[in-house]
Amino acid sequence: MTPVSLKDLALSNQKRSPRVEELRKAYFDAMPEICCERPLLVTRYSRKQRLLDKTAISVLDKARQYRYVLEHRRPVVAHDHGMGRDLKPFPVKARSLFAGSTTSHFKGVPIFPEFLGQTLWPELVNIKQRASNPYFLADKDVQILNQKVFPYWMKQSILERCRVRMNKDRADQPIGHRDAPEMVLMEYLVFYLTSKGNCISHTIPDFSQALKIGLRGIIEEAQQRGRAAKDSEQRDFYAAMVEAMEGIVTFSRNLAREARRLAKQTNDASERAELLEMAVVNERVPEFPARTFREGLTTVWICWTSIHLENPDVGLSLGRLDQVLYKLYNDEIRTGSLTIDEAMELLCCLWLKIGDHVPTVPAAGEQLFGGTGSNQAITVGGVDTQGQDAVNDLTYLMIRATELMMLRDPNLNARYYPEVNPPEYLRRLCEVNLNTGATPALHNDRAVIKALTSKGDSLEQARDYGIIGCVEPGSNGRFYGATGTLLLNLTSVLELTLYNGEHRHTGLGKLISKPTGDAASFKVFDDFKQAFVAQASWIVDRATTLNEALGLTHQEVYPTPILSSLFEGPMDKGKDLIFGGAIINSSGATIVGFADVVDSLAAIEQVVFQEHAISLPVLLQALNLNFVGYEALLARLRNPEKTHKYGNEQPDADGVARWVATTLDGLFHAKVNYRGGRYRVGYWTMTNHAGFGRLSRATPNGRRDGESFTSGMTPVSGVTPWLTSALNSVASIPAGLLGNGLAVNLKYTPDKNHQDKMLDDFVASVEGYFDAAHGGTGGMEIQFNVTGHADFLDAVKNPQKHDQLLVRVSGYTAYFKDLNPQMQQEIIDRTEYDLATGQAVQFSRTA
Amino acid sequence: MNRLRSFFLKLLSWLLPDSVCLWLLHGRKESLRAALEDALAETLLEVLLEGMSLAFLLLRGFRRNLSGFSGKYLFCTANGGVALRALFANGQMSVLAGESPDYDVAVTFTDSAALCRFLFSSDQDILASLLANDVTVDGNLNYIYKFGFMARDLIGRLSLAELVDRMLARLRTA
Repeated sequence: MTPVSLKDLALSNQKRSPRVEELRKAYFDAMPEICCERPLLVTRYSRKQRLLDKTAISVLDKARQYRYVLEHRRPVVAHDHGMGRDLKPFPVKARSLFAGSTTSHFKGVPIFPEFLGQTLWPELVNIKQRASNPYFLADKDVQILNQKVFPYWMKQSILERCRVRMNKDRADQPIGHRDAPEMVLMEYLVFYLTSKGNCISHTIPDFSQALKIGLRGIIEEAQQRGRAAKDSEQRDFYAAMVEAMEGIVTFSRNLAREARRLAKQTNDASERAELLEMAVVNERVPEFPARTFREGLTTVWICWTSIHLENPDVGLSLGRLDQVLYKLYNDEIRTGSLTIDEAMELLCCLWLKIGDHVPTVPAAGEQLFGGTGSNQAITVGGVDTQGQDAVNDLTYLMIRATELMMLRDPNLNARYYPEVNPPEYLRRLCEVNLNTGATPALHNDRAVIKALTSKGDSLEQARDYGIIGCVEPGSNGRFYGATGTLLLNLTSVLELTLYNGEHRHTGLGKLISKPTGDAASFKVFDDFKQAFVAQASWIVDRATTLNEALGLTHQEVYPTPILSSLFEGPMDKGKDLIFGGAIINSSGATIVGFADVVDSLAAIEQVVFQEHAISLPVLLQALNLNFVGYEALLARLRNPEKTHKYGNEQPDADGVARWVATTLDGLFHAKVNYRGGRYRVGYWTMTNHAGFGRLSRATPNGRRDGESFTSGMTPVSGVTPWLTSALNSVASIPAGLLGNGLAVNLKYTPDKNHQDKMLDDFVASVEGYFDAAHGGTGGMEIQFNVTGHADFLDAVKNPQKHDQLLVRVSGYTAYFKDLNPQMQQEIIDRTEYDLATGQAVQFSRTA
Repeated sequence: MNRLRSFFLKLLSWLLPDSVCLWLLHGRKESLRAALEDALAETLLEVLLEGMSLAFLLLRGFRRNLSGFSGKYLFCTANGGVALRALFANGQMSVLAGESPDYDVAVTFTDSAALCRFLFSSDQDILASLLANDVTVDGNLNYIYKFGFMARDLIGRLSLAELVDRMLARLRTA
């Protein structure tokens, strides 16, 4: 237990320093620029070493490749310009306290030709003018990517290698039908998506070793183990660790050298002193143990940016930084060598650095799923491995930094253990949500720890969880859980059940899965449920088969020596993460459309089978006609007073919710992945509920063609009039079924005239949701949007006026202006509660 | 004969300024313009491929897209009405009629409008294509990305980008 010494937990005196203010302004002014440095270096090395011709690429080959990239990157101590949205560069006058950047640009777009980088190929010429989230790309860089990078990866990308692997025995298939059905299903976009084509790791590295013994310590241990290793694979793995870590050391030294060079050039004494200080820090770390808070943060930053050269920026997360850095912070504060002002400036600079890049998203992706950042989660608070209160002064500094910066990345997640963490901490978290309108997300330790131990993690491992990407919990630095590997559109399972193995998107008359019975043939609801389980089982089989094939492809050509060196497990096991080197090796699926399916099933049970108000064939007819001519039925299906809805503590509907969650947990848990772990299920949807919804036809809960699905595990918008009931329904789903996390999105009406009262009510709502009533654990996760309806509408009309408006999507935070119109509308249409009454506020739908 | 023609046209591309080479492409450009203006023209694909083939010979800058590239594309309509192959090898492009099982990627589209959206689309049109489920691809998607770049590159060089935008806008409202 670490005593909190701060007198003002809000750190109200802390403001953005002039340096931070200038950098933050530049951050918002800057347009992302596609960076060719990494792809060019990787391609050059791969060609020179003939890696592209190889059917398998070893971990040592990979490590040498990254060492080459790290040693040949241009050392950028500070960016002197960013790219304006008018496509003209503008000067950046302030310098960050951290040297180096993820890409060669002030705000960059990293390209991974090994993954989905080539999806940008058709757009290269006009990508800087595209309508959604344009990226700057200089004409010369168009030619670099078109001629010197992409052509060499056409047959080498992960997805393509996997396709060839799966198609080995399909040469005799008819023209146009050679691709494996699992791959084709994904390309239809309405069944499932797997992220492995774009992502190798969705996890939290272990920074503790780098901080304690430095990379030199890791190198020496790897050398020692390599000498003792008996088999050549292990020897190669340890040699790869050495190569990777030496690369990072050189990268940091190059930055130090560049800082010294710049110091020599300047006539400004304070600038010179600053540059020399930076040089001293980068000469020391991450090679050697960090001695100061700044050295600690620099260690994290240099390791982080190096990891991103190997791992695409898809939700790789930083973990419990308030825990791993606390000792360095506290030691310096106690001796007086660091002030809170200095610590805050360092944190704000790091927050900006973390957000110095955006993910690669092609135009179609922007339309369907756009607006995402890199989703780099930081976790604060909660309990330590012994179950003691772990909230410390640094926790509050990080919360304040988040409040001051109001950035999309990093995505701050706060843990709270009721009755162990202090209530004033929860109050502060709620206050920051009011002030920022969207962050941090709150996690109930009691429920999360139960969820993780239910899946086999030890109690100590579970207590040391951090949040990954959006909301997924995983033991810090030892959990290689690939939490975002599968996105399953659950409404497709419902569709296949309703249409006997066919799907309206792919066309009725074309069998997609297997027949499980004509709609008219179901006599009782249990028949329907049985067919639903059979279809769910079929789709889970297909999705996991594809995921496994992709995992084996990763093993073939994409070992990860950098991340493996900064992780608990690979050093002891002598193998790369991708081969099961971690301590915990699960995979994660996340479900899209949960509440829409639950409400649809509840409606079918009640309206068709209990009340016999209509037959299933008539319901199908209404769905096919998008309820045109069936307006009375539509009104009935949408009305929570007439049709059971999840989120109203209605036993039948909430029972269906638990049944669906139990079914999916069972189906996924039965699958063992290529690393020997099992699948865990989560319910967070990012923006996919809008994208999948747009592609999907009407559903029996009264949702019309193309309307968004509901986010995460949140009850359907507009059908849960009471906040308490909505929260109790969600909390009634056992935590043991939610091993891969969940997102519950709530919208509260801001009340600027009664802030204190609103804060009281806000805290009470969270306490009530987290309350372990009835022997349960309480709800697991909750996140908020606290922006007025009128402000959202104005932000649609005048995006530039609200260019920093931060919102919670389903998991991560985003800038409202970056979201596609359907996602914006989904947020506007979410149920909004007035905390003073606990009742939903009525708005006319604007769609 | 074909090799002689190719040699001759490539020679011209080295000897003549770009503006003259573009002028030599005028006939193809006008055919392409006509096909684009009527996006439902069944000939669009053929005109595009033939135009691209000639442009590779006459435009040095455009020809750089072929450097080291080999690929076999099959384009066909869902109803079996059109089947064309585009073959890239040895720095040349050739267009052949009829199906073949030997391809890197096969694109099946419902009509020329679907193909237009697929090849030249801006954001909304890609989505329209997905919603309509009117283009399916079998094979290596990276070849499609490469082809998409070349098609847009050609449209830009022939100053037809605005026409394509207008055509796409028309398809959106159709």
